[in-house]
Amino acid sequence: MSAFSPAGLLALSGGLLAIGLFGILTRRNFILLLISVEIAINAAVLNFVYFAAFSGSASALSGQAIAVVLIGLAATEVAVGLAIVLALNRLRGSINVAEANALKS
Amino acid sequence: MTGLSFALDYAWLVPLSTLVAFVIVGLAGNRLKRLEWGGWVAVAGAFVAMVVGLLVAAAEMMGPGTYTDQSFTWLSVPGSPGTFPNGVNLVMGVLVDPLSALMLIVVTVVGFLVMLYSIGYMHHDRGLPRYYAELSLFLTAMNGLVLSDNLLEFFLFWELVGVCSYFLIGFYYEKPSAASAAKEAFLVTRVGDVLFLLGIFLYFATFATSGPGAGWAASGFKFANGTQPFLAGISGGNSTTLTIAGLLMLAGAAGKSAQFPLHVWLPDAMEGPTTVSALIHAATMVAAGVYLLAVTSIFLGFTATDQLAIVAIGGFTCFFAATMAVVNTDIKRVIAYSTISQLGYMVLAVGAGVTMVGMYHLFTHAFFKALLFLAAGSVIHAVGTQDLRKMGGLWKKLPITGLAFLFGALSLSGFPFTSGFLSKDDILGSVLAATSAHPLYWPFFLLALLTVFLTAYYIFRAFFLAFGGPAPRDPALPEAHEGPWVMRLPLIVLSALALGAGWLAFYPPFASLLAGGGVPPSFSATDLALSAVSFGLVLGGIGLAYALFGNGRMVEVPAGSAADRVRSVLLNRYYFKAGYDWIGLRAVYGFSRAADFVERYVIDGTIRGIERAFARGSDQLRKVQTGIVSDYAAYVIGGLVGFLLLLLVVAPWIVAHLGGS
Amino acid sequence: MAPILSIVLATLLVSTLATFFAGKRARYVALAGSLVFLVEVLGLIAGFSQWAGFASGHLPLYNDYESYSWISIAWLHVNYTIGIDGISLIFILLTAILQVATVVYSWEESKRPAEWFGLVLLTCLGCFGVFVALDILLFFLFWEAVLIPMFFLIGFWGGPNRRYAALKFFVYTHVASIVMLVSLLALAFYSGASSFDFESLYGPARTLMPVTQVVLFFGLFFGFGVKFPIVPFHTWLPDAHVEAPTGGSVLLAGLLLKLGGYGLIRWAVELLPTGASDLAPLLYAVAFASIIWGAVIALAQRDLKRMVAYSSINHMGIVLLAIAVGSSLGITAAVLLMFAHGIVSALLFMVSGSVHHTFGTRDVSGIGGITPRTPALSTMVMVGSLASLGLPALISFPAEFAAFLAAWDRIGYWVVVPLVVLVVTAAFYLWMMQRVLFGPEKGVPPTVHDLPRFELLGMAMLAGATILFGILPELLVHVIVASPIAGWP
Repeated sequence: MSAFSPAGLLALSGGLLAIGLFGILTRRNFILLLISVEIAINAAVLNFVYFAAFSGSASALSGQAIAVVLIGLAATEVAVGLAIVLALNRLRGSINVAEANALKS
Repeated sequence: MTGLSFALDYAWLVPLSTLVAFVIVGLAGNRLKRLEWGGWVAVAGAFVAMVVGLLVAAAEMMGPGTYTDQSFTWLSVPGSPGTFPNGVNLVMGVLVDPLSALMLIVVTVVGFLVMLYSIGYMHHDRGLPRYYAELSLFLTAMNGLVLSDNLLEFFLFWELVGVCSYFLIGFYYEKPSAASAAKEAFLVTRVGDVLFLLGIFLYFATFATSGPGAGWAASGFKFANGTQPFLAGISGGNSTTLTIAGLLMLAGAAGKSAQFPLHVWLPDAMEGPTTVSALIHAATMVAAGVYLLAVTSIFLGFTATDQLAIVAIGGFTCFFAATMAVVNTDIKRVIAYSTISQLGYMVLAVGAGVTMVGMYHLFTHAFFKALLFLAAGSVIHAVGTQDLRKMGGLWKKLPITGLAFLFGALSLSGFPFTSGFLSKDDILGSVLAATSAHPLYWPFFLLALLTVFLTAYYIFRAFFLAFGGPAPRDPALPEAHEGPWVMRLPLIVLSALALGAGWLAFYPPFASLLAGGGVPPSFSATDLALSAVSFGLVLGGIGLAYALFGNGRMVEVPAGSAADRVRSVLLNRYYFKAGYDWIGLRAVYGFSRAADFVERYVIDGTIRGIERAFARGSDQLRKVQTGIVSDYAAYVIGGLVGFLLLLLVVAPWIVAHLGGS
Repeated sequence: MAPILSIVLATLLVSTLATFFAGKRARYVALAGSLVFLVEVLGLIAGFSQWAGFASGHLPLYNDYESYSWISIAWLHVNYTIGIDGISLIFILLTAILQVATVVYSWEESKRPAEWFGLVLLTCLGCFGVFVALDILLFFLFWEAVLIPMFFLIGFWGGPNRRYAALKFFVYTHVASIVMLVSLLALAFYSGASSFDFESLYGPARTLMPVTQVVLFFGLFFGFGVKFPIVPFHTWLPDAHVEAPTGGSVLLAGLLLKLGGYGLIRWAVELLPTGASDLAPLLYAVAFASIIWGAVIALAQRDLKRMVAYSSINHMGIVLLAIAVGSSLGITAAVLLMFAHGIVSALLFMVSGSVHHTFGTRDVSGIGGITPRTPALSTMVMVGSLASLGLPALISFPAEFAAFLAAWDRIGYWVVVPLVVLVVTAAFYLWMMQRVLFGPEKGVPPTVHDLPRFELLGMAMLAGATILFGILPELLVHVIVASPIAGWP
């Protein structure tokens, strides 16, 4: 267990989060946006798993449980997100999020 | 005779019978229109009221000085420390005492006769159910006022008669002048009413806590409770409050009885039907002010200052109003001014401390003044105008009316051996007697004496203008003829009463109702001398009127002469009405408009300004809302970063540099 | 003992929900629910033989008292506590009467009737809750619950400028609500009471330091005062009334204004007696300002509804005057006057509404001489106006008489000021009647109809109450005095 370095692992999940956030901020394509969100969520999942493994106590189980819940959550989110993509495509003929600004008014 | 005393327990039937008539006519009147039922229902109500009222009065005569009182709790609140510790107990009830019995006779008899007369007089008018309903309601309220057993109830019915008067003055509401006169009457009397209300507060609050009136407060401030008058038992410390309270009662009475300076509404009230003028604005309601003063003087008492003020108002008003009657050409308005003037006599008497003499005049005046109005109504009914300048020569065509008017005029001017002579000379004699103790009464006595001359002049001027001469001055007037029996009968009955009612004072049981100084009139040497003087004035007045108008033509005053200017001032009623109109329309309404401006543009303007600032600010702020998801995500992330910076960098820096010391 | 008040609340809730979902039959459901409510309230009054009185230590008790723990976390104890005394009962009676009258009056409402009647019932439900709640948070919950249906009533069924008026109403009363809530919470925390219950607050609050009491009372006075409304925070009222639909105006003037007066008596005067007496001069000043300003501005109005709205400000000023007096007579007068004003202003707003849709205008100078054509409507105009200007034998008079008598005892000749204003009040009503009812016919369409049956019935109910309680005010007063005011130390 001690073969893993916490600093390296945290750097990995931090890097994933940064990639995800960058994607969220820059992508205009809805599908790429969704993928970026998935990456950011996975960074959080990784963190849960690491810390569960490190703590080694009874709370380890809860960390893993949350990781599993998060994976399920991510899956449902993608399902909903793709449904929105389809609806948007049908409605506007494009999946560019910059054009979907009906919330403005 | 105890056989009648049961009637005292049924006094509540008097207002109730007319109330029933009011409800029936008011609710079903329109359905009974074709049958003219409404009027007869109202007459029946008034008739029952009269019968019961006379029985009650008779029973009261037989057992002088008795008080019969039935009441129920109207509003009762427990006390709290520091204010009304004994609580406030307000009651409504029926009180029969000599004074109310006397008024009951006046109100129910005149009420019935006028109601009967209306059947003929109002025959051609629209809206008759409304008329009879309102008149019945008026009789209810007036009888309720007469039978009130405390000041609050008195005020309650006082306002109700006022509102009935309002509706009846405005009976011909399509006429703007009638609607305006009704409003004016209500508002001017309202001024008096508000002061009257304040007076009630003064009495209630002064007596509620301690002193001789403590028991009075617990009983619901009834008239019949405790020693009378209360004022006798009040220490000097309270006399300022009580003086003010007395003056406020005077103000209330002045509003209702059209005394100076609240007299302006009564002449305008002649816009109502003549029957209404006879009943409300001559015989009953306007006399309620005098009745109030009488009740106050008997049960509560006036201080010397109050008395002087009352004498001054009464004495001045009786002269002041008579001067305006001298030039008026509207037959009803002449009589209206004479009503104000005669009420002034009564007020004068009450103020001079001879309350019952004032009530005596009230009693006789009710009949001869109702008679004058009904006779005038008969004239108006016959010729269709109220303008004296157009009338003339009616004596032959309207013999009954003419005779009735003559009897009324004789009684009004105080011709010897009429009712008016007895009561008016009684007032003059009593006031003259009072001047020995109160020299300040002298000028007002002299004004009252002078008024005798004016009274005789103006009423006979009206008489000669209407009835004298060979033919109407305006040939366009329709052929006059007497009204139906329902109109003639009241005239005959009232003629008898106008001449003879005053003599009732020499009938001992009746005189017991007027128990008090000065009634029945005595005929001492001074009195006889005074009567001779006043008879001389009456003859002078009649003679002058005959000399000027006896041949039935108008006397024209040359335009621009001094006499014409005086006439103009008198016709404009000394510009009082114009002044009050200015206060109402210019001062109060102008202020109100200005305040409305402030309301709209300053108060609400400030609010709207604040609101606009917010709206503009948020308009700027909403530009942030692009609607693009990525932008929102950027804000979220930016916020997160900022928060982390705050937590991890700024906060530790602050703690390190500032918190440590 | 059966939880009577909860049962009443439950029936109200059920009838409200049923009305919302009743579709076209909503009015029948609403009427049935309202009648059931009225019968329940009359039963409450009939069964209200005696007030529960004081427990030891002058702690007032309440009839039909119920208290259940609702939220209980650490030191935070919020209870579902309800109970009534004579004062609450009178306001509940007012709620029931106005609910029935409003439903009957708006019987022919055709714009989304289910929602309309549902919101009317919901408003009354909220008011009922305010009048029975004896816990700060429960009270506040109902208090806010009243605003929402009223916002929609004005905002959806109102006149052309309705959105502005609805928003103004909401913002004003909401700001006031927040001040009130903060003051109430501060009251609870400063007094160190064990819960938000009225009972547990009562003892500690009354013994607070005078300074604290004054500050808290001031906050509560502002919070409740905007509802009154007091000058100068009154400008929402005319706007709200002018734009509100008739039924909305009726509830607004008849019930919502009373919430402020009730709250001030129950939560401020009863709990903070020292604060009330120390701030009495301020209350008198504000009351005088409201009385004078309301009447003077009313005189200048040409819109019937605006006139009645300003006369409401005038009347609620007299209520405030009576509350400021604070004696048992004063509080009784205040409650009676609020009841009276509830009935009379409701009647007058119904009249204004009917004038508007009979003649197409409410402008006093736009119509005239309507009496021959619309006698029933004219009669109602007269009854309402005369009652409002304080004619004896109609309901306002006993209340105003008691209020001024109480005021005379505390402030002496100052009472001349509101008394003189009575003349102005009479003036604007009489002038209005002269212009609208009398004189030659003007602005009357040739095909004019007198009042529709249901509108007349709704008004006639209120007119009947005006006359009944005007002749026999003791019917109400004997209930009002069965409350802590009867024995305040």
